[in-house]
Amino acid sequence: MFMTFALITLLGALGMLLQKNIIVAGLFMVATFFGVAGLFLLLANPVAAALQIIVYSGAIMVLVLFVIMMLNSHEEEKAETSRPVQRWVSVALVLALAFGAVKLVLSSAGVKALDLRGAAMPQAMTLQKVGTTLFADHLLGFEVAGLLLLAAMIGAVALTKRNL
Amino acid sequence: MTGMDAILPTLNGGLQGYLVVALLLFAIGLAAVLLRRTLLMQFMGVELMLNAANVALLAFARFRGGDAQAMVFYLFIIAVAACEAAVGLALVIGLYRHRDTTDSDRAASLKQ
Repeated sequence: MFMTFALITLLGALGMLLQKNIIVAGLFMVATFFGVAGLFLLLANPVAAALQIIVYSGAIMVLVLFVIMMLNSHEEEKAETSRPVQRWVSVALVLALAFGAVKLVLSSAGVKALDLRGAAMPQAMTLQKVGTTLFADHLLGFEVAGLLLLAAMIGAVALTKRNL
Repeated sequence: MTGMDAILPTLNGGLQGYLVVALLLFAIGLAAVLLRRTLLMQFMGVELMLNAANVALLAFARFRGGDAQAMVFYLFIIAVAACEAAVGLALVIGLYRHRDTTDSDRAASLKQ
C-alpha cells in the first residue's frame, strides 16, 4: 500500500516537472495531492487526508487550473536568453541535495530508533483530539489564521479588480 | 550499511520511507521552481515543497504516538498555503494584464 501511494505521489510530481502543457501539469499535481492524501491515511491520520483532498485537490488546484485557462497561455513561452550554466548548476544542486538528504535519513540512528519505538504505538489521529488541542491551546493562532485568510481574500480582490 | 540494506527499510512504510518520499517530493518541487520559467509552474513547485514538509511533519507525528500538535501546525500550514495561492495567483493575473506574459524571465524588472 505504501509503495502504491508513494509511487503515485512521486510519479505525479515528476510528470508535473517534465510536462510541457501547463494544464496537463496541473492535472498531474492533482494526482500527486491524492497520493499524498493516501500517505496520510496510511499514517493513521484520516483528518489530514480529508483536508488534503478538500483544500489542495479541491480548492487550490481548481483555482490554479482556473487561472491557467483564463490566462490562455498553455505552453511555456520561448526563452528570451538560454541560460545553460544556471540550469546545469540548478540540476546539480537539486540532485546533490536529494542524494545527501536521503543518505542522511537512511543512515541516521535517531530516525531508526524513532521508527522502532513509533511502530509499537499505533494511535490514530481523531478529529476530537485535533479539535481539543486546537481550541484549548491554540485559540489565538486559530483566530489569527482566520484574519489572515480574510486579508488574503481582500488582497486578491484588490489586486485583480481593474477599478475598485 | 550499504546497498540493499539501506534501501529495504524504505519499502515497507517505516518512518524512513515517508521521509524519503518527502525529501524527493521537496527536490522535485525545488527543481520545478529552478528549471521551469512559467510562473504558474513555479507556483505549483512551491505547493509541492509545502506538501513535502507536511508529509515529513505528519510522519514524525505518527511515529511519536499520534501527536495532535502536529495537526494544529498542519492546519496553519494549509491556511497559509491557501492565502499564498490566492495572492500569488492574483499577482500572476496582474502581471499578465500589464506585460502579457507569465514568464518569470520577462518580468525581471519592476519598471514598466
